[in-house]
Amino acid sequence: MSDLSLLVQMGFGALLALSVYLPLRCGQLSLATPGFYVIGGYVAALLSTRWPALSGDGAGYPLTSLALELVVAAPVAAAVALVLGRPVLQLRGIYLAIATIALVEILRVLNLNLAWSGGAVGIFGIPQPFAGPGGYALATWVLLALVCWLCARLEAMRLGRAMAAIRDDELAARCMGIPSADVKLTAFVISAVIAALTGVLAAHFLNTWNARQGGFDASITTLAFVVFGGSRIWLGPVLGGLVITALPELLRPVGDLRLILFGLVILLGPILFPQGLITPERLARLQQTLRRP
Amino acid sequence: MQVPSAQATAAASLLALEEVSCRFGGLLALDRVSLQVQPGEIFGLIGPNGAGKTTLFNLISGVGRPTAGSIRWSDGAINGLPPDRINRLGIGRTFQNLRLFQRLSCLENVLIGLHHSARAPLLPALLGRRSFRQSQGELRQRALELLELVDLADTARQPAGSLPYGSQRRLEIARALATAPRLLLLDEPAAGMNPIEKEELSALIRRLRSRFDLTVLVIEHHVPLMMSLCDRLAVLNFGRRIALGTPESVRHDPAVIEAYLGVSS
Repeated sequence: MSDLSLLVQMGFGALLALSVYLPLRCGQLSLATPGFYVIGGYVAALLSTRWPALSGDGAGYPLTSLALELVVAAPVAAAVALVLGRPVLQLRGIYLAIATIALVEILRVLNLNLAWSGGAVGIFGIPQPFAGPGGYALATWVLLALVCWLCARLEAMRLGRAMAAIRDDELAARCMGIPSADVKLTAFVISAVIAALTGVLAAHFLNTWNARQGGFDASITTLAFVVFGGSRIWLGPVLGGLVITALPELLRPVGDLRLILFGLVILLGPILFPQGLITPERLARLQQTLRRP
Repeated sequence: MQVPSAQATAAASLLALEEVSCRFGGLLALDRVSLQVQPGEIFGLIGPNGAGKTTLFNLISGVGRPTAGSIRWSDGAINGLPPDRINRLGIGRTFQNLRLFQRLSCLENVLIGLHHSARAPLLPALLGRRSFRQSQGELRQRALELLELVDLADTARQPAGSLPYGSQRRLEIARALATAPRLLLLDEPAAGMNPIEKEELSALIRRLRSRFDLTVLVIEHHVPLMMSLCDRLAVLNFGRRIALGTPESVRHDPAVIEAYLGVSS
């Protein structure tokens, strides 16, 4: 794998981690992210392969068409999240996790068996808007920067404070006038949109899309990003997504030991840093030491 | 059994409970309790453990639903409404077992109470415009003023969970005040406080009442404190209201002496 391709994958990892992070920041253990990622990917795959008008007349796939796919995928994912979110988010803790895993699995089985999603073979020959991985890296990291900025802003707003309050004590938050169901639904919808946008880019990058792209494995991997990096400030999942995606590649020189080392990192991370690598307190301390040279 | 209480003219009352019952399985936690709270008064609820005082608070604040009876606030029934709606109608509360947002700072706790004052236009907020930063600055200022009021301005940046017990109780009051209530429900605000703190708390509650035009409904076990603080008291025992009136009349009520105060003064 080229270095640029790895950068693209790392960007996807960070984006999906942010998607898991948003519901988790208000205490909702939702594992639905891969489901919305798959939905985004299918939107891109279907539009670009079944709608010739989008392909334009030039050699490459036009960027405007890619933009259009993003614009379509976002409201599709948001609508699905809105409809599913109301009932599903009434569940708490592990029950919510189970319900969202079921959602991901239902989507996987549907996509595996329906004709329009290409069945088990999936959809091939998704056109390329970029000549090489460089373009994908740029697009992915621009999207990542935008999503980071959005998260950072949300955390400075009352929505971010309400999310933290619900996570700490939902009943107390409600007694302080916070409509917790609405706040949780908002986080869920934004999370779905982030995952779907990532799916659009991933479908083009991978050139093919099928039901195996998102499943229970992906639910657990993306959750690991957040557990490793931390779930209280947006920087945590970003770091977790980047590091854990890159690690198997970076460890390649170690040879056969690399998977063992990778497993060790995943295991030791939560033991040594139960709240994740990055917490608001640790960041504040870091800022102080940097300012006091 | 209790005679249906005199249907006192609920005209001027801010909060009126009519024949409110609450049953948990086989336990009748509240049995046809009626009472009216007048605007501006400090109304006390006393009674032995398990008398149903906190259950009553939970029903008023929407945390639980009454099995029977109605709760009227200003001019509408509020039983069955969710807690966030009830809070927005002007009822704020604290918790007997302290439910602060432990990991968040004192300032953030109060800022969360200010949720509905913190509404800001989305676009300037996302772009971090000056108008948004200014409104956030004003918001923090208000939060700090509330902290100052309960004497916690110095600990604004500390996590709420790290404060001593008495301070956490006062922080809960500040957080509830931030939601701009007309009625404040205080559930054992003096629990865990030393006698000096209790004295100060009493003064604080009176000060807050006049400053914010509050009506206060307070549960407390410390009877002398309640006698001096409250305008009126209701006494609950095994879910029933056994007395209601001024501290003086309650103190001499034979039912109260028997059920609660024991062999009395």
